[in-house]
Amino acid sequence: MHHAYIDKFAYQDSAIHRLDSRVKFLVVLVFTAVVISLPRTSPSILACYAVGPFAILVWAGIPLRFAFKQILLVSPFVLVLAVSCPLYDRTPVAVSFGPFLWQITTGWMRCFTILAKFVVTMLALIALVSTTRFNNLLAGLQRLGVPRLLIVQLGFLYRYIFVLIDRAHHILRARAGRRLRNLGFKMELRTAASMLGSLFIRSIDTAEHISIAMQARGFDGSWRTLWALHTHRSDWLFVLGAVFYTGALYIFVRPILQ
Amino acid sequence: MPKAIVIENFTYRYPDGTPALSDITLSIEHGQKVALIGPNGAGKSTLLLVMAGFVKGAGRVLVDGLEINSRNLKKIRTCLGSCLENPDDQLFMPTLFDDVAFGPLNMGLPAEQVHARVADALQTVGLGQMADKAPHHLSAGQKRGAAIATILAMSPKIITLDEPDGSLDPRNRDNLMRLLRSLPQTLVIATCNMNFAAALADRAVLLDKGRIIADGGAEEIMSDAELMAGHGLEVAAKK
Repeated sequence: MHHAYIDKFAYQDSAIHRLDSRVKFLVVLVFTAVVISLPRTSPSILACYAVGPFAILVWAGIPLRFAFKQILLVSPFVLVLAVSCPLYDRTPVAVSFGPFLWQITTGWMRCFTILAKFVVTMLALIALVSTTRFNNLLAGLQRLGVPRLLIVQLGFLYRYIFVLIDRAHHILRARAGRRLRNLGFKMELRTAASMLGSLFIRSIDTAEHISIAMQARGFDGSWRTLWALHTHRSDWLFVLGAVFYTGALYIFVRPILQ
Repeated sequence: MPKAIVIENFTYRYPDGTPALSDITLSIEHGQKVALIGPNGAGKSTLLLVMAGFVKGAGRVLVDGLEINSRNLKKIRTCLGSCLENPDDQLFMPTLFDDVAFGPLNMGLPAEQVHARVADALQTVGLGQMADKAPHHLSAGQKRGAAIATILAMSPKIITLDEPDGSLDPRNRDNLMRLLRSLPQTLVIATCNMNFAAALADRAVLLDKGRIIADGGAEEIMSDAELMAGHGLEVAAKK
C-alpha cells in the first residue's frame, strides 16, 4: 500500500535539500524559539516572520497546498486551545496591523496569536521535514548530541508507522467487508476496542520479531552507524542569511510594528 | 571440519506447556541445502529459532562445532544468519543501506569493509541501485531480496530462511530460487511449498507435531504421495 509519506518531498533535489541537516535543524529550532517568544500584541511581525518559511518552501519546490494540508491535519489540537481563549479573557486591547488600528478582547488576541504562531512554526517545521531525508535528520540529531536511544526510537517510529497504518487499513477493510448494517454505538465501540487490541498485540509481536532480527545480526545494545555529514560554504551562507533575517526582524522591525 | 548443525535429543515446550519440539535429533553437513517441510504448526519456525539460539530447551545444539550458550552466541550469530518470515521484521532501519550495514557494523568491521560488503550483498540480490531507498518503498519481492542481503553482508557459513517464498508472485519466486541456488552457503529452508523445496533442496526433513517424521533425499521424500498426504502436504512436481 502506498501512503502519503511525511517526507515524500525530501527526495527532491534543490539547494535547500542539499544543506546539512544539522544546520537546517538548528536554524528551525532558533527560528521557532524566536517566533514563540514574540509578544502577542503585534500580528504584523508574525506576518513578516511567515515570509521566511514560505520563501524556503517555494525555493525548494514544495507545494504550498501540501504544507497547508499538513498544518490542517495537526491543527485540531491547537484549535481547541486557541478557541477557548476568547471565552475566559474579555479585557479590551488595541491591535495594529500596518496602518490599521482596532480594538478587540485579549482572548481573541491570544487566540489569533496562538494560531498565527502555530502556522508560522509549522511552516518552518514542514520546510525542514520536506527538504531533509529522515535518516539524514536522525544522523544530524545524533551528531548534535541527542541521546542514541531517542534516535533509535525515532528511527523505529518512522520505519514502522507505515506498517502500522497498513495493518490498521487491512483491519478496517476486513470490518467494512462484513459490516452490512449499523450495529449501534455500543457494538461499534466494542468492535473498535477489539480492533485496537488486535493492533496492539500485533505490534508487540512485531517488536519481538524485530528484537530477534537485531540480535541475529549481532546487536548487543550499542548502536553503530556510518552516518557521515559535512558542512559546506552554502551551509554557512544559509546560517548567516537565517540569522540576519530572524535577528533583523526582531531587533529593527519588531519595535516599529509593535 | 565440524558439522554445520548438530541437534541431539532436543525437546522444547511453549510457556503454556504445549509441546513444540519433541526429541529432535538432526545433523546437517556444510554445503547441504536442507528443506524443513511440514504442515502449519509443525514446529519448523521454532526449530530455526533453536538453531539460531533464540529458543532454549532440553538437549544439545551445536552450530559449526560450537555449543549454543551465552559465551558462544556472538560467534554463532556471525556464522549463522537467520532470515525471518516477514521481511518487514527483518528490515528495521530507515534506509536499505543502513539495514544491510547493521550486521557488518555489529561485527566491528572497519567502514571501508562495511561499504564493500553492503555493495556486494545488494548487488547479489539485484538491488545495487536502491541503497538509499527506505524499506517501506520496496515491493514484496525487493523486500525479500533485501532481507537476504542483510544476512549475506555478514558472510555467514549457514543461512536459515523461514518461508522465504511467502507472498511472492511466480516471477519473484523464480528470481529468489535462482539467487538461493547460487549461494554457496549451507541453507536450511522452512517451507510449506513442496515445489519450491524440491527445486532447491537436496535433502528434506519432514516435521509434524514437533517430531521428525522423515529425513532423507528431497526427491524421495517429496514424491512419496502417501507420506505427504498423511501429513497434510502435497507431492512436489517433478524437477
